[in-house]
Amino acid sequence: MPLLEVSNMTHFFGGLRAVHAYNLEIEPGQIRGLIGPNGAGKTTIFNLITGIYDPTEGEILLEGKTIKGREPNKIASRGLGRTFQTLRLWRHMSVIDHIKLGRYSKLDYGLPGAFFSTPRRLREEEKTTKIAMDLLELVGLPETADQLVTNLPYGAQRRVELARALATEPKILFLDEPTAGMNPEELIDMMKIIREVHQELDLAIFLIEHRMKVVMDLCELIQTLDFGEVIAEGTPDDIRNDPKVIDAYLGKEVSV
Amino acid sequence: MPKKIISVGKKIWATMTGWLKKFWSNFRDVPLISWLVAFSVTVALEIFIGQALARMVGLSKPPALFGVALVLDNPAKFLSAIIYMILVYGLPVGVIAYLTKGVGNQIAEWLLQFPLLLTSVVHLLLIYGVMHYWTSISDYRLLVARLAMISIIVTLSLNVVNGYMGEFSCSHPGFMALGAYVSSIFTVLLFVTDNRFGDALLPAFLGPFMFPVSLVLGGFVSAAGALLVAIPSFRTRGDYLAIISLAFMFIVKSLFENLEVVGGARGISNQPDYANLWTIFVWTVLAIWIINNFVRSTMGKALNAVRDGELAASAMTVNTQKTKMVAFLFAAFWAGIGGGLFAHVIRYINPGTFGIRKLAEVLAMVYFGGLNSVTGSIVGAVGFSLISEALRPLDIFKWIFIPIMLILIMIYRPTGLIAFREFDVAQLFQPKGKKDEEGVDHAAA
Amino acid sequence: MDVFLQQLMNALQWGSFYALIAIGYSMVYGVLMLFNFAHGDIFMVGAYIGFFVSSGLLALNLGSVIGLSTGVELGLVLVLTLIISMLLNSIVGMGVERIGYRPLREAPRASAAITGLMIGIILETANLALLGPQRRSFPELIPTTTITIAGASVTNKKILIVIVSLVLALLVHQFVQRTKWGMAMRAMAYDYVVVPLMGISSDRIALMTFAIGSALAAAAGILFGIAYPVLDPNMGILFGWKAFVAAILGGRGSILGAALAGFLLGFIEIFVTMIFPSTMRNLIAFGIILIILTFRPHGFFGEPFSAQLRL
Ligand SMILES: Nc1ncnc2c1ncn2[C@@H]1O[C@H](COP(=O)(O)OP(=O)(O)OP(=O)(O)O)[C@@H](O)[C@H]1O
Ligand SMILES: [Mg+2]
Repeated sequence: MPLLEVSNMTHFFGGLRAVHAYNLEIEPGQIRGLIGPNGAGKTTIFNLITGIYDPTEGEILLEGKTIKGREPNKIASRGLGRTFQTLRLWRHMSVIDHIKLGRYSKLDYGLPGAFFSTPRRLREEEKTTKIAMDLLELVGLPETADQLVTNLPYGAQRRVELARALATEPKILFLDEPTAGMNPEELIDMMKIIREVHQELDLAIFLIEHRMKVVMDLCELIQTLDFGEVIAEGTPDDIRNDPKVIDAYLGKEVSV
Repeated sequence: MPKKIISVGKKIWATMTGWLKKFWSNFRDVPLISWLVAFSVTVALEIFIGQALARMVGLSKPPALFGVALVLDNPAKFLSAIIYMILVYGLPVGVIAYLTKGVGNQIAEWLLQFPLLLTSVVHLLLIYGVMHYWTSISDYRLLVARLAMISIIVTLSLNVVNGYMGEFSCSHPGFMALGAYVSSIFTVLLFVTDNRFGDALLPAFLGPFMFPVSLVLGGFVSAAGALLVAIPSFRTRGDYLAIISLAFMFIVKSLFENLEVVGGARGISNQPDYANLWTIFVWTVLAIWIINNFVRSTMGKALNAVRDGELAASAMTVNTQKTKMVAFLFAAFWAGIGGGLFAHVIRYINPGTFGIRKLAEVLAMVYFGGLNSVTGSIVGAVGFSLISEALRPLDIFKWIFIPIMLILIMIYRPTGLIAFREFDVAQLFQPKGKKDEEGVDHAAA
Repeated sequence: MDVFLQQLMNALQWGSFYALIAIGYSMVYGVLMLFNFAHGDIFMVGAYIGFFVSSGLLALNLGSVIGLSTGVELGLVLVLTLIISMLLNSIVGMGVERIGYRPLREAPRASAAITGLMIGIILETANLALLGPQRRSFPELIPTTTITIAGASVTNKKILIVIVSLVLALLVHQFVQRTKWGMAMRAMAYDYVVVPLMGISSDRIALMTFAIGSALAAAAGILFGIAYPVLDPNMGILFGWKAFVAAILGGRGSILGAALAGFLLGFIEIFVTMIFPSTMRNLIAFGIILIILTFRPHGFFGEPFSAQLRL
């Protein structure tokens, strides 16, 4: 049974058909890629699967159980973590608090704990802080724990987002252009971190990327999207040589 | 020419602040406990020789609130008031705090080995002692202190919504009214013989013990009222809370105006005098402790996350709806408690008490002190109450002065004086040594 | 039937005041995303300006100076009062924007709401300090005559008030829909950033929004003075807050929506007092509003939008 199965998903924004008859199967441990020109509908697919939009049609199964139409937080706590294309960090919060908050649904001290600092709360908080520090270690930012997130450089902020998503203990991690806007150095770091995360935490990864090098290096299988439809699917080599893919990208560039 | 004046002015300002800083640096390592000791001595001093001293410098009695009111009333007394303030407050506090800082730090160090609870109790007892004796001099002081503490509860609870959650709620007077009415009905019905509710139903000695019950009851009723606001407001994001909570406030007010059983527009009076200084003190400490716990818990942080990015919060497994709901009801609960205490201090309430003016006042305290900050709310509530009382002699011009002050604060510090700061009790009681760890300043970017 | 008609006219008149004030609220809210909590007091200031302008004009005794009949003189005074007061009050409104709101353009919106609240208090207190607590009675600019329509007797004042309000509301609506400035306003309501691209400074649009809103508030104040000739410094408070709620009920930035909601509020209040004791007026009015907002959270003509408080 695939870990995540999307079948025949279609979504309309008013009259605009953003996604059409989209299918996807991800096995545990796979790294999959999703590419396509700007406005192809990649982010929309992420938003549909993670519950931000409700698909007009189709079915989404996570470990064989439907998650279609569930609230984003429910879907996330069932094992679907994500980052965003544009950073969505919380301006006034420290780095460590970001990551601890990723464990919101895993924390269990209830309202009594929230109101009175019960021993249980202290224990749980301590445990969570430790997990968060480990994750910070993993993404290479242990010394920034108490800093305000807005004081970090851009590349580091992206890594905080990644660590935060990891804190939800995802079975699949959705990365929306994890290297967007990064300089070459930060890019290489990020790729290394993604590989490490994949190995150490044993999760599946589904990523959107515009930089071919990143996708080709990391992914086992790649889908190419154009105008909301998958026009090609296969290994990096298949994709590289697919005339339709070249067309979609070149056609776009020519029109630009 | 004006440029020259400005630059000279700036220079003077710079040297003055320089001096002040230098002067203050002597006190940087004074721990809280030394300050408290210094204040105790001052209060003792005022009790024993305050009257005589006041006569000596030409005042009829010790000024009730730092002499501001006195001076505004009679500017000629300016010098006397200043001398009195320096002799009774400034000098002893400064000298004793300075002299005892070594011992104080040792005590604070020694206290570190005990559980935080014990240290807190020691400090709280000292604080209460100072307040008790300070207010023993005049009834007016006592009243101001009691109301200021209630303001802390109400301000803090509104800060949970307007600061930590980042919504704009206008319904706090309504919640206070619910708390005030419910607890008043409870105590007046059970323990007071009057012509509205008839004979007292229970013996009077039970009253003070049942008072907390009445407050909590009021708190729960206002939380239930909050549910009415929360359900339609939090379905979608936007400004609905502002409007719906405003409508709610008016509804509560006119509901009580129309309920003849509870006195209609005339309200309820004859509340028993249960809300004495220590009762209010205990409730205030409880409120600060619990609310601070809440905002620092994961649920409280989730509230910040919902404010700064709801989408990301929900992607991080936060149930945004429930978080907002819980926080709002929680805030309403404390507003209800504050209202109940308020009713038993003033001992007369009517629907008019809980109108737009009250709203403006509470909002002013929250934004004056600072959003998303427990310290800010304490400072805001106490500072605003004191300023507002001290300026009473200005009569209606007070209501020009205070708004201007608030506008200036909003312009220069749009989130308030002490915004976005964590309140860590352990840090508060710590010995202040060389390394001088200050609270992480999460000042608004 | 005639009672009903009569009440209908009362409701229309009462709603006129709300409608005119609500339009000002709604414009500021729509264009700048601000709660201008000073607006109710700007209405009060407008009423007082109208009082002084009309008293001054009457004292000039234009009638005997130029040789006009009393009726013509009063009409002239009324028109001049409206125009002059609206101009003066728009200056007040622009001053409020300049002092209280512009420095806070980048601050959290809630902070601006607080400055608005404070400016409102300052306006009330200043009035109290300058003019004292006693009420003023607005000069009689229109001698009352009663007309009978379909069995209902209606005063000429009521008809005039309703017509003037409707005309003003439509004028502003046309201004916003048709002119370049109106377009800039709508653009700003849609997206703050694009307006400078159109070659119009957003500060100017903000000023204009406040000016128009305050001019309407002045008109409302004068019409109120004509209908209920007593003014007091606190008259703006309740009116303002209710009109604010009406503005939201109309839908964000919708001028016709705000006007409609204003009239609706007038209807509710007048007809409630026909059936229930008048003390129940606020209770029922706000209750109905709460119910409407529960089912139509974006108001009559509003579109869903998501506003961050920009903390
Ligand atoms: N909430 C929305 N409402 C209406 N249209 C939308 C919405 N979100 C996206 N769209 C439209 O759907 C299409 C797909 O957008 P999407 O963001 O998924 O593209 P993308 O493939 O992620 O592009 P990019 O590479 O630029 O991120 C675009 O035409 C976009 O304008
Ligand atoms: Mg995208």
